[in-house]
Amino acid sequence: MTTDCAIEAAGLEKIYQPRFRNRQIRALSNVSLQVPAGVKFGLLGPNGAGKTTFVKILVSAVRPTAGTARLFGKHATEPEARRPVGYLPENHRFPTYLTANGMLDFYSALSGMEPRDRKRRIPELLDLVGLKTWGDARIKKFSKGMLQRLGLAQALIHKPKLLLLDEPTDGVDPVGRREIRDILDRLTGTGVTVFINSHLLSEVETFCEYVAILRKGELALQGKISSLVAGRGFQVACSPLPGPAMDRLREIAASVSVTEDGIEVQTESRERANAVIDVIRGAGGLIESVTATNSSLEDVFIRVTRSEKAA
Amino acid sequence: MNEELTRSRLNVLVALIADTFEEARARWLFWGLFGLSTLLIGLFLFALNIDLSVGAISVMDLPQTARPVYNIHKFVNVSYSWTSLFLYIWGTFLAIFASSGLIPSVLEPGRISLLLSKPLQRTTFLLGRYMGNLLVVALNHVYLILGIWLILGYKTSIWEPRFLLAIPISLFMFAVLLCVVVLVGVVFESSALSVMLAVALMLLSTLLAQRDFVIRLLDSEWSRQLWMVLYWIVPKVYDLGYTMKQIVLYDRQADWLTPVWTSAAFGIAALGVALSIFRKRDF
Repeated sequence: MTTDCAIEAAGLEKIYQPRFRNRQIRALSNVSLQVPAGVKFGLLGPNGAGKTTFVKILVSAVRPTAGTARLFGKHATEPEARRPVGYLPENHRFPTYLTANGMLDFYSALSGMEPRDRKRRIPELLDLVGLKTWGDARIKKFSKGMLQRLGLAQALIHKPKLLLLDEPTDGVDPVGRREIRDILDRLTGTGVTVFINSHLLSEVETFCEYVAILRKGELALQGKISSLVAGRGFQVACSPLPGPAMDRLREIAASVSVTEDGIEVQTESRERANAVIDVIRGAGGLIESVTATNSSLEDVFIRVTRSEKAA
Repeated sequence: MNEELTRSRLNVLVALIADTFEEARARWLFWGLFGLSTLLIGLFLFALNIDLSVGAISVMDLPQTARPVYNIHKFVNVSYSWTSLFLYIWGTFLAIFASSGLIPSVLEPGRISLLLSKPLQRTTFLLGRYMGNLLVVALNHVYLILGIWLILGYKTSIWEPRFLLAIPISLFMFAVLLCVVVLVGVVFESSALSVMLAVALMLLSTLLAQRDFVIRLLDSEWSRQLWMVLYWIVPKVYDLGYTMKQIVLYDRQADWLTPVWTSAAFGIAALGVALSIFRKRDF
């Protein structure tokens, strides 16, 4: 347990048991993930990969079947763990009977803010998200883009240390997306950890520093985006390796993914590629290929999500 | 630190209650309840002004009647008692209908997950919603019953404070039935089913309360026992209403404790199950 980690998931598993049905749905399987405090982190994955379930476990809306999730060292199920968290859910439904002021006042009260602080922060936040003149308007009159910005204001109002955004630009036009990104850009350097759950690769590539990819409920890849899409790197393919060698590879490589045929290791430099080869040979593995790469996040995503098994 | 935490929790509870109130207002439930109550108050005003009522009171006051004052009091007390029973049934029915949607609406995906992401216990959240609902109905009950008491008192010049017992008793029974509405809302997220079950319990309670008569008709011991078990389990909507009517009539023998504690036990159990399910549910 470390408090310099904003998010710490260990062996998370979630199996949904639909009511009155025998069929179980495995949404997450043994997902372990660490997000350092203060970084911008993107969680990618195709539809149904388990991204939303993962975020819902973090905010305790969903209980894991196994494993634990911690926020700044505290168990996510403890209410106090969620105090420094701002959350914008996917397909949110804000109470349409409230005005923008009323909505922000309600959610900030639930976040534990005093009435005096709420009164001061609400106009500030409405100004930040470009809705200064809409405070007294009922939110049923808001467009999708305005609702997203209001949702962001709601997530930011109590000055959270961790911002969890589930598909923040989903259904928003390009101008609205840009506005949301501009708001998020203003958080740079403030020490706020931003965790974005998205299937929009360009958005994550532009904004985030770290990324993880979920595939069929399993963590397929995790690393620094600059390393994964490094101008020139090397991909080493080899036969399957035992556990300790895999752990060593994860320490030195940018990413490690298990494919149908074996293992694919991505490295950022020639030196790292040689170190990887040493580990593989030392563990008795067979090198299949060594390829110089020049990939985008999309290449990485496609390669990882097409693989059958996860690392 | 503890004081700060308590204040913060209190702020959260107040916010939840206020939000429920705001939703009831925006969904016209609040205004609907008050509108119907105003209509009923208007009907009472009208009914007490027609000749039938005035004539009946005059007859009681005739000099040849043996104890005229006593008879007027009796007549008025009987009117008070029946009116209290009517308001108890009317108020509880309307309150159930008005409250049925307030739990399912908050459990909608995209709304509940955001609420649960806040630093509050799930128990606090559900209890805040429950209390907000209760407050809406309490305001309506006070308005309706107090209004009719004022009309009856003004018209007859007999102010019977026992009539006002209809407020806490109606509210108590609504609080019990609201536990069922909450339970059904949490499990099935259906407002229609909540109403159906709560109303069914009201009707069942009336049926079960006829135990002295029905038990004589039942020929097997197990069916008699089953009837009695059901009678003790189901909240005593009928019994409490009848007891209230008797208390308004100055019946000192009326047993109010049994229907209160058995109904309260049912409500607490239903709310306990609802809270337990709500704490474990995924949203």
